[in-house]
Amino acid sequence: MRIKDIITKSFRSLRSAKARTLLTALAIAVGSFVLSLTLSASNGASQYVHRIIEDNFNPSELIVVKDKTVLGKVNTNSPVVYNPTSTNTGINNAPIARLGDSDIKKITNTPGVESIRLGISVNLLWVKSATSQKYDGSVDAFSPYQNPILLAGSIPKTLDKQKIIIPQGFLQAFGFKTAKDAIGKQITLAISEPVNQTTLDTLLTSPQSTIAEIKAASTPQTQTFEYTVIAVAQKPTVSQPGTELYMYVGPSDASNLNDISTIGTSSYHEYTYVYALVKNGANKNTLNSVASAIKHEGYDTQSVADTEAFLNQIISILQGIVAAFGAIAIIASVFGIVNTMYISVLQRTREIGLMKALGMRRKDIGRLFRLEAAWIGFIGGLLGAILAYIVCILINPWITKKLDLNGQKLLIYNFKAVAILIVVLIIIAIFAGWLPSRKAAKLDPIEALRTE
Amino acid sequence: MIVVKNVVKTYGKKTSRTDVLKDINIEIPNSSTVAIVGKSGSGKSTLMHIISGLDHPTSGNIIIDDVDLHKMSQKKMDSFRSKKMGFIFQAFFVEANQTCYQNIALPLEIARVSSRSQKKLITQSLKDVDLLDKINAKANDLSGGQKQRLSIARAVVNKPRIIFADEPTGNLDSVNGDKIVDLLFDLNKTLKSTLIIVTHDADLANKCQIKIYLKDGRVDSIEGNSKIKKGEVI
Repeated sequence: MRIKDIITKSFRSLRSAKARTLLTALAIAVGSFVLSLTLSASNGASQYVHRIIEDNFNPSELIVVKDKTVLGKVNTNSPVVYNPTSTNTGINNAPIARLGDSDIKKITNTPGVESIRLGISVNLLWVKSATSQKYDGSVDAFSPYQNPILLAGSIPKTLDKQKIIIPQGFLQAFGFKTAKDAIGKQITLAISEPVNQTTLDTLLTSPQSTIAEIKAASTPQTQTFEYTVIAVAQKPTVSQPGTELYMYVGPSDASNLNDISTIGTSSYHEYTYVYALVKNGANKNTLNSVASAIKHEGYDTQSVADTEAFLNQIISILQGIVAAFGAIAIIASVFGIVNTMYISVLQRTREIGLMKALGMRRKDIGRLFRLEAAWIGFIGGLLGAILAYIVCILINPWITKKLDLNGQKLLIYNFKAVAILIVVLIIIAIFAGWLPSRKAAKLDPIEALRTE
Repeated sequence: MIVVKNVVKTYGKKTSRTDVLKDINIEIPNSSTVAIVGKSGSGKSTLMHIISGLDHPTSGNIIIDDVDLHKMSQKKMDSFRSKKMGFIFQAFFVEANQTCYQNIALPLEIARVSSRSQKKLITQSLKDVDLLDKINAKANDLSGGQKQRLSIARAVVNKPRIIFADEPTGNLDSVNGDKIVDLLFDLNKTLKSTLIIVTHDADLANKCQIKIYLKDGRVDSIEGNSKIKKGEVI
């Protein structure tokens, strides 16, 4: 018998037992549904992660730190030796070592490093517009790799001095009716200048100094700066948590503000992390070799790829747990197929006998029943996959709204993976049909044809 | 020519041993009509199964046109059966859920006939049994006589050399039975195939050129113009 004839014949016999076929296929459909949805969810999640990273980082850059704990590589099992040059801001209040000017020079001189970008975040004393009250706020150095969606204004390649990008969240607080309104308006940033310990010490030890002088020197000075709004950034679709209300200024402005707020303290010209741009860093091997060169100097690095891989690992663990349930459903459905196929063989004993009498080969009879099982696998797999597709379409808008993903879909149907899944299900079904098909192939035609 | 040579068939061993066929020797010329007659338990069905290759003899040979049937490989025997033999059963064995066309297509599919020739052959054989108007009807919707005609169409569609009919009229009333018998003998004439009928119906047997009477596993008597010998080696 031709394989084409066997396929149509096996499908025909399934059609003559519609209810049985459908019920058996439904069991597989449950597994297929769960796995299809898992595939969609993990596809969506990893695209989401990819987008967060793409919109905020340059894959050719390495984050360089002096202290591993910054990158989350914490050792909480053994006490850490005190380091007098560290500040107490690390995880578990352990001091973290920071990168100084000499460190930055060393990193810059590492072969393969093109340039260094400082990661600066300045805590403001307050921020206000001409008409508003004072608010808490933070200012960051604008990274050229950030792609904020702008509600108004535009960002030049390099931010000019005294220019600032404000987030959507501050519009109302500053008293701007629309984003357009804000463009060109003045914003006042205030920074508290730390007490100069040396000046204070001299004053304290000098017998000529007056109380007023000492009081003035021991009171932190406030410096204010006027900035012009050049752009309003939309609340980002994807963002690092906590950065939604950051304001951004040019790198040199940020450095300047940072210096003023840290002068005379141990934090002056000390950075928790810097970004090192690697020449031809898009090439993973180049990036890795430069990373190990920097590590060799005694620093630790993390690339965007590392971060993405780490996040994806978490996703795959979650995905694995859900997939395991789907797999259990499929294992359960295998017994359903075996049972159904045995019934099918029993019901068609006479037909098998007839086919054998007419010279149908054992091999072909076995194939006929295995293909019947394959059809069940295919129908079940397809049913579950279609159901999952419908569910994706129906609940995606709801999830996006609930999780505030701002247009990013969490369930992205992965057609290729689902196609592979269906093929795998067909193969599993064929294996499930193995024993019943063997029984059919081995049937004695005379026994099968005996009517009395 | 079909030669049945020293065929013995026994079931079981030692005390539970039953001899179903005891040294059968028959020669059947090509294009003849043969009736194997006997009571139930005489071994007539077993003999038919052995001649058709469905069952194996304990000893002895079946030689069809100088080929020893039971010395063939299973694959060869299957192919031999699909090309040269047709079967008609008492209980019809038509697939109730399938159309007449699909029922008749089965032996052609097994013999790997191309689908274009299949169509031609099926139409012709439905015409032969006068069921052409039922070509797309489900076998379930046919009457008993029509079902047996359908099974005859299935048996002759690939123009076999030998047609085996096991009690072909056993499930039919006399009117339908007579029609079926006439049809069988007509087709046998046009196809020039050998027709072997297993029956206990004397009327049906009398229409055959050769009658082989079996009793307790032995050839009891033979009638007709064949060189059939009784219980002895040729």
